[in-house]
Amino acid sequence: MRRELHTGDRSVAEMLYTRYSGMLFSYILQFVPDEKEAATLLVDIFSRLTPKLQNGFDSHLSVYCWLQVESRKIILEHLHETTKEGGQTRTYYFSLLEDAPPEHQWVFRELFLNGRKKEELAACSGKDLAYISKILRECLVMIRKNLG
Amino acid sequence: MNIELYMQSGIVESYALGLATPEEVDEFEQLLPHFPELKEALSDFEYHLELFSIDHEIPPPPGVRVKIEERIREMPDVRRAYRRGYYRRQHAEYVRAEVTDPYIRVHKVWRTWFIIFCIVSKIFLGLAIYYFVEYRHAQGEVLQLQRQLDKTQGASGGAGK
Repeated sequence: MRRELHTGDRSVAEMLYTRYSGMLFSYILQFVPDEKEAATLLVDIFSRLTPKLQNGFDSHLSVYCWLQVESRKIILEHLHETTKEGGQTRTYYFSLLEDAPPEHQWVFRELFLNGRKKEELAACSGKDLAYISKILRECLVMIRKNLG
Repeated sequence: MNIELYMQSGIVESYALGLATPEEVDEFEQLLPHFPELKEALSDFEYHLELFSIDHEIPPPPGVRVKIEERIREMPDVRRAYRRGYYRRQHAEYVRAEVTDPYIRVHKVWRTWFIIFCIVSKIFLGLAIYYFVEYRHAQGEVLQLQRQLDKTQGASGGAGK
């Protein structure tokens, strides 16, 4: 992709869209229940991230992971502005946590979908930070195991 | 540092999913060049994440692509770059080549303009020569008439005395 970008064979936006639009659309749908709203967010994400693609190449992440991480920031910003909370509308990453206890699912949902901090979760659940970190770690291990 | 223990903390997954704090990100990025196993674990997780996303992809509604292109084209920086790209695509049949011969090559349209310029300049040169000759001739006549006039005045002056 880097090579194609530099040779200018196809437009960057076209290339990104062809490769990642479907993947990112389903990624957005796990945060936003409405397909129309998710489509609007997809437009926003692509138009904001395409000019910054060089940052993606410069990062340690793959282009797709960089897109996911940056998309999540935009989605959370949108949810914050519209005072909405991320809903578990599609299973997506949660399908990897199907067997996890409800508390694990709650921690992951709050951290990942709602962008809350571990400290906030610890305060509102009455648990200490180390406990929340432990639960998150177990969720991530489970995700890695189920992905592989 | 025990890198195995560090990886078991879920830092690789946190980093790839965007869940790591800025401090964790800094630490991870500093360690990354020194521990190939960390890089390998990250690439492996990214690969599986991408495969998962491919399996679960949902095509966006029609019209989204056009909206994205329009939005990108509206951005000033991108608009300029897009125009340059458009120009390059329009002239894609031309290949940039290093020229070593001493001749200057110009567009064919300049031949017509050059011919017109030559013809017009020759017409002007002809007119300039014609009017110059006419002027000299007229000047000669004026001088001749002046001499005749002087002679006539001299003759009539002598007769009067």
